[in-house]
Amino acid sequence: MNQESIGVLEELVLLTVGSITQGAYALTILEEINEKAERNLDVTTIHSVLRRLDKKGYVTSEMGGATKERGGRRKRFFQLTAAGKTVLDENMELRMELYNKIPKFTFSSI
Amino acid sequence: MNNQPPKWAIKLLSWYCRPELLEDLEGDLYELFDAQHKKYGTKKAGWFFIWAVIRSIRPSTIRLFNRTQNTRLMFTTHNIKIAARVLWRDKFSALLNISGLSIGIICFILLGLYVLQESTFDRFHTKTDRLYRSYLYEDYGEGHTFFNAVTPLRFETFFEDNFPEVEAAVQVRLTNTLVGVFDQRINEEFAIISPEFFQVFDFKVLQGSSKKPFDNRTSIILSRAYAEKFFGDNNPIGKVIDLEMKDVFESFTVSAVFDDMPFNSSIKFDMAVSNELNDEIYDEQRLNAWFSVSPETYVLLKKGTAIQSVNEKIQDIVMSYLGEDLQRNEYNIRFQPITDIHLNPEIPAGNSAANNPKYVYILGFIGALVLILACINYTTLAMGNSLKRNKEVAVRKVLGALRPTLINQYLTESVIIATLSTAIGTITALMAVPVFNSLTNSTLNYSFEWMHLAYFLGMGLLIGLIAGIYPVWALSGGKVLALLQKTSQSKTSHGIRKVMVVFQFAMTVFLLTSTMIMQRQLDFLQNKDLGFSQDASLAVEIPTDQSLRSRSKQVAVTLQNHALLKAELAKSPDIDNITMASHTFGSTSWAHMAFTDKNEVFRRFYFLQVDEYYLDAFDIKLIDGRGFETESGLDKRQSIIINQAAADYFNFENPIGEKLPGNDFGEHQIIGVIDDIHFSSLHNKVQPLVLAQNILPIYEGISDINVGGSILPKLLFKYTGQNLVEAETILSAAWEKVFPNQSLDFHFMDQAIKQQYENEAQLKKLISVASTISIIIAAIGLLGLTVLVINSREKEIGIRKVMGASVIQIFRLLAKTYSIQLVIGVLLSVPLTLWLMKDWLDNFAYKVSLTPDLFLMSGLLAMFIAILVVSYHTLKAALVNPIESLRDE
Repeated sequence: MNQESIGVLEELVLLTVGSITQGAYALTILEEINEKAERNLDVTTIHSVLRRLDKKGYVTSEMGGATKERGGRRKRFFQLTAAGKTVLDENMELRMELYNKIPKFTFSSI
Repeated sequence: MNNQPPKWAIKLLSWYCRPELLEDLEGDLYELFDAQHKKYGTKKAGWFFIWAVIRSIRPSTIRLFNRTQNTRLMFTTHNIKIAARVLWRDKFSALLNISGLSIGIICFILLGLYVLQESTFDRFHTKTDRLYRSYLYEDYGEGHTFFNAVTPLRFETFFEDNFPEVEAAVQVRLTNTLVGVFDQRINEEFAIISPEFFQVFDFKVLQGSSKKPFDNRTSIILSRAYAEKFFGDNNPIGKVIDLEMKDVFESFTVSAVFDDMPFNSSIKFDMAVSNELNDEIYDEQRLNAWFSVSPETYVLLKKGTAIQSVNEKIQDIVMSYLGEDLQRNEYNIRFQPITDIHLNPEIPAGNSAANNPKYVYILGFIGALVLILACINYTTLAMGNSLKRNKEVAVRKVLGALRPTLINQYLTESVIIATLSTAIGTITALMAVPVFNSLTNSTLNYSFEWMHLAYFLGMGLLIGLIAGIYPVWALSGGKVLALLQKTSQSKTSHGIRKVMVVFQFAMTVFLLTSTMIMQRQLDFLQNKDLGFSQDASLAVEIPTDQSLRSRSKQVAVTLQNHALLKAELAKSPDIDNITMASHTFGSTSWAHMAFTDKNEVFRRFYFLQVDEYYLDAFDIKLIDGRGFETESGLDKRQSIIINQAAADYFNFENPIGEKLPGNDFGEHQIIGVIDDIHFSSLHNKVQPLVLAQNILPIYEGISDINVGGSILPKLLFKYTGQNLVEAETILSAAWEKVFPNQSLDFHFMDQAIKQQYENEAQLKKLISVASTISIIIAAIGLLGLTVLVINSREKEIGIRKVMGASVIQIFRLLAKTYSIQLVIGVLLSVPLTLWLMKDWLDNFAYKVSLTPDLFLMSGLLAMFIAILVVSYHTLKAALVNPIESLRDE
């Protein structure tokens, strides 16, 4: 079955969702990405990507975890779906295959 | 949590965001706010919050706004969708409908624009309720009348001095002269106007002052088009133009530029000088004369005054000036509102020609007629189509549709078709304006304004509603069971359809016949033997010395120049019959002279000054006496030739040797009588005509003369070579030799003669366009009806075939349905055609007769077209396998 292709940012978010096994919601995902990839993304970007991934069926979400700081509003937790895992695997495979094809660099004096 | 993010941002978020996403989104933003306000403080956190709210406005977050819960709107869009599908399913019929209506609309719009243009002449002036043109009607009894829309020069001061109601009087005279710009010399028309011109009329002055357009006597003003023509993009103000006044070029400086005068104005010119120059142009006598006319005089009344008060006083005031010489009501100055000028043919033309309002109304009538035909077509076709959908209606009713709902739906369909047709029709019509103009020699002028869109859409809506209401009504009524059983049409719809078909046929035949009659009359006009031979004849204006005040001296100089040019032209073998005459055939302004004869009867006749070769040059027949002899000095000085009409007019039993019955004529005698040639247009009966080589003896004896254009003789010749274009080359070469610095002004006589019937030719073209269109519409209608009839009689045809009817018999059966209606239509159209055509033909003194064969021909033509249209489908129906038609249940 042909799956929809996935962009770089989407892949990043997907990977992060997968790696945060417990309590992956917009803000934790944001924090993780900004820290690990040393980028300065906006929370609204993350929201947008997450909605897209949800639409594509690569993540599922459920509500929970209301806190006082949020004025009693619940969080939306995301989890990787089987399809999401598959697409990540495939992408990884593709990258490894191509990467391994690159000949090792030798520095020889000419 | 002490601090809150900005309240309005929260409000904004909860307003636009989808409810299902709102909770966690809002929560995330709150959490962020909280974290940041601890780190950076409230203000910065607040800014960030706002930023995030704005950045979250994305298509994925915005909720659906349900404000358009408007059922009517939703319903209409649904109807439109369904209507579109219906049309798409039956493309052929939809196309037929749309094209028929579009064509009708095209015709209606084009003719409508023409009518609109003609009837709104001069309405753009803001002071139209106070603007009048004066005209002069003199009646001295015994047929001694003069009727002119051009007036004496003294009227301007006359009106301004004697009538307090008159705010201003303005004169406009149009004339021609040679204009010199840089090195060119061209013959142009220009106007001589009063300086208050722009304060009375609403023509815009683009450069210069509208209060004082002329700086001084030697100022000239130009229209925008002419400023560009002479000076390109350069500023024309201050530039010099030379005008030839009395054979000497005088320099004028451009002092103003005015906007081009619109097409629908009776006052039109491109260059003007001030009438302060009148004292230079005219002599003392003309400036003060009461009986010699030249410019048009317009008056502007003061606000609050009425023309009646002027009319009441005017005869008294005239009497105070002329009481010694004239009696009351002999010299009548009258006024017409400026908006009346263009469509009032009763008053003779002044500077611009008037159009007959009858023609305008007829064309408007025809335009409306064609549109009605198209709408009728549409209605009948729609009714026909509706039969096929009986089942659909029945099902809808079963499912619960009420009648208004159905009406709504089908009316939407109708409106859509109508609007589509209107759109196509109007766009095509507006694009076709130039084509229309060239086809019909008119100058239709259309400029698009956004307001017009509303009119056109409104028209589409109206047509759709009106034309569609009947079939829709018929369709949506009816009991469900009856509809399901697909019975044939009701009696009433049958009757109405028959009437409509008859009406269509009648109108089409009427238009066809009218076109034929007009064509016949035009051919007659153009081919009638006028009594002289006009082919390959050219006329050339001879230059003269304009500085000479005396007319006879001018004539003498012209004759000399004529001899020079003649000698040069005679060298060419292809030029023959060189002669001379004071006017040419086809010009409307032959010298009209008048005198009071010995019995106190006022007599008028036309006069032409010719040379001895004239009669031979044009093969004019003598029926009594002799022509001018070449060597005869007596002939040169005293002999005159008259035409048969003159002989009858003056009651000469034996004209030869007689003189004209006047008291003051010089020595002359009649030496010959020519057959009546049609020297003026065939609109008029042949008038009395006098030909002479010497104008003097006759000139001495007349009291009045009315001439348009110059009375100076022109050179006429015939070209006998192969290629007519050569004639011009030979002429230019000869001219260059003899008059190297003068501009050549010549024309072909047969063209000038044809131009006399320009109006009629245009009208005929318009009508033939209308009749072609009406034929197309009728054909479309007939096509649709045929399909309809065939469809509804499918079973009947099948049964007949089974019973043994042959193809021909079936064909005849179907064709018969419409032949009766065609015949009735033809018969009905006859009286209308007769009445209108007779009226039109009465414009001509010489006309064709209305013979029955014309009607027969158009009737047959209509029938032929009808058969052509009908036969294809009918034959197909007649050939179809009866099993198939009977099987369908």
